[in-house]
Amino acid sequence: MHWINWVIVGVYLVFVVSDGLRRARGATNIEAYFLANRSLPWWAVGLSVMATQLSAVTLIGTTGQGATDGLRFVQFYFGLPIAMVILGVTLVPFLHGAKVFTAYEFLEKRFDARTRSLTSLLFLISRGMSCGVIISAPAVVLSAIFGWDLTWCVVLIGGPTVLYTVLGGVQAVTWADVKQMVVIVGALVAIVVVLVMRMPVPLDDAFAIAGAAGRMRVFDFSFSLSDQYTFWSGIIGGTFLMLSYFGTDQSQVQRYLTAKSVDEARSSLLMSAYWKIPLQALILIVGVLVFLFYQFERAPLLYNPAHDRAVRAAEPTEYAALEVRYDAALASRAVAARDLVAARQGDVGGSAEGAAREAYRTSEAGVTAIRTEALSSAARVTGASSRDVNFVMPRFVLDHLPLGFAGLFLAAVLAAAMSSIAAELNSLSTATVVDFYQRRIRREASDAHYLSVSKWATALWGLFAMAVATYAATLGSLIEVVNRFGSFFYGSILGVFLLAMIPRARATGAFWGLIAGMTAVGLVNWRYPSVAFLWHNVIGAVVVVTAGMLVGYARRDA
Amino acid sequence: MPAPKPTFRSTLLRVLTMQVVALLLLWLLQQRYAG
Repeated sequence: MHWINWVIVGVYLVFVVSDGLRRARGATNIEAYFLANRSLPWWAVGLSVMATQLSAVTLIGTTGQGATDGLRFVQFYFGLPIAMVILGVTLVPFLHGAKVFTAYEFLEKRFDARTRSLTSLLFLISRGMSCGVIISAPAVVLSAIFGWDLTWCVVLIGGPTVLYTVLGGVQAVTWADVKQMVVIVGALVAIVVVLVMRMPVPLDDAFAIAGAAGRMRVFDFSFSLSDQYTFWSGIIGGTFLMLSYFGTDQSQVQRYLTAKSVDEARSSLLMSAYWKIPLQALILIVGVLVFLFYQFERAPLLYNPAHDRAVRAAEPTEYAALEVRYDAALASRAVAARDLVAARQGDVGGSAEGAAREAYRTSEAGVTAIRTEALSSAARVTGASSRDVNFVMPRFVLDHLPLGFAGLFLAAVLAAAMSSIAAELNSLSTATVVDFYQRRIRREASDAHYLSVSKWATALWGLFAMAVATYAATLGSLIEVVNRFGSFFYGSILGVFLLAMIPRARATGAFWGLIAGMTAVGLVNWRYPSVAFLWHNVIGAVVVVTAGMLVGYARRDA
Repeated sequence: MPAPKPTFRSTLLRVLTMQVVALLLLWLLQQRYAG
């Protein structure tokens, strides 16, 4: 990468860290350190909410998904606006009005200490591990692309984030999030502009090529509980998932607890309600434009350079033969794409366009078949899943964008990773200190003591997440277990919060309802019966509320 | 005089209108290009 790109990345890192350190002044107690004395404006909180949700995986994985699978992933977010409106009138006033530090603290006020401790502990386990995964995903990509040691990539991403989160607390996290969102959206818009300007055919015709390749299909109205992304799983399952995430996950709840008032907290969530679907569509469209760009330029056979090198070294003859076939298939697809454009310009919607579309589809299937062969070679040689989709965007940026854009994109990837990591470390520390240390270990101490413990807790969670990230490759199966474990309780915790808003619900019902919900999701998770994961939250929440109410009635009768 | 606070119904209406517009645009995009 050119040194000017590195200067851009360096300027970004220095700016974010120095701004965070500037925010370190003023926090003298944990209310200031964790909640900014509930003083932040809605727009800053709203951008922070969006930045926390948007991780580096979104920026590199979702754009790659747009290139390889098209726009249909946007259905995943269809429930988000509905969830935000529901939260605005239910949990947000409850949580903000209760003046709590954590969402789980509210459960002790409503039910009992064991329900609070159990939900908070579940949050700490799953978020602690997932924070490691959030660092690891972009670190693995940087390591493969630049050939750096993975540990150094983890330190590059995690180190500055831990530094400004420890010293600056939530003030530093939120204001860094605001700037990071500007960097992320700016980079995406700049890349779209370059891609559109470089497109060798009119945009209307280019999208027709994407349509012929199946990349412009957004809606799938089939109702299947086992299909991952459909309109119905997005609207219903997505609503429950987003209710769980924004309503009960401390990493998001803490964002809007920093708002000046209930109204400002509501407004901050509505920002996502308005802008999340357009933003997600933009990210996927960037991927589609990259796919279109590669119709007229040579696309790599394997986007992951480390796997490309590994297969080339292990099976040189076979790989060379595959590349010859691939180049021929690419050339044939480029001709078919241009034929489709010519047919559209001569005879829009006519039989010539239909025939050209079919010819293009056949040539695209030929390219895909050869890529599939290469991917299985990579998996066989390296013994690891290729995750090639995560390398589509970085390779395009480094190989084809004008000077400076690679630096801007890398800064945006770091910004997306850092904004999510910082919010998670901040919330992990809050739950540790408020739900456990202050509640169970030392109930009375000075502000200075709690502040110092909070900073240490943030630092230790940062080191833990970086250790998980470094060993993520070897911890593969463990992380999968934790992720599965996490999905057991996400909807179930939402169920407990729903119970909290039912006046007749009781503490025993909440505790046993939570256990019943996690058991039910555990069963469907292990495929008894097989249900797509977006439905798990619906099942968890419904079982908790039903079981919780039944146990409550039974105990009252007894 | 301060502006009246938006009610839940009006907020829901505004957000859903925005969502319907977004979905409609995506639908038109699909209809035009996905064939």
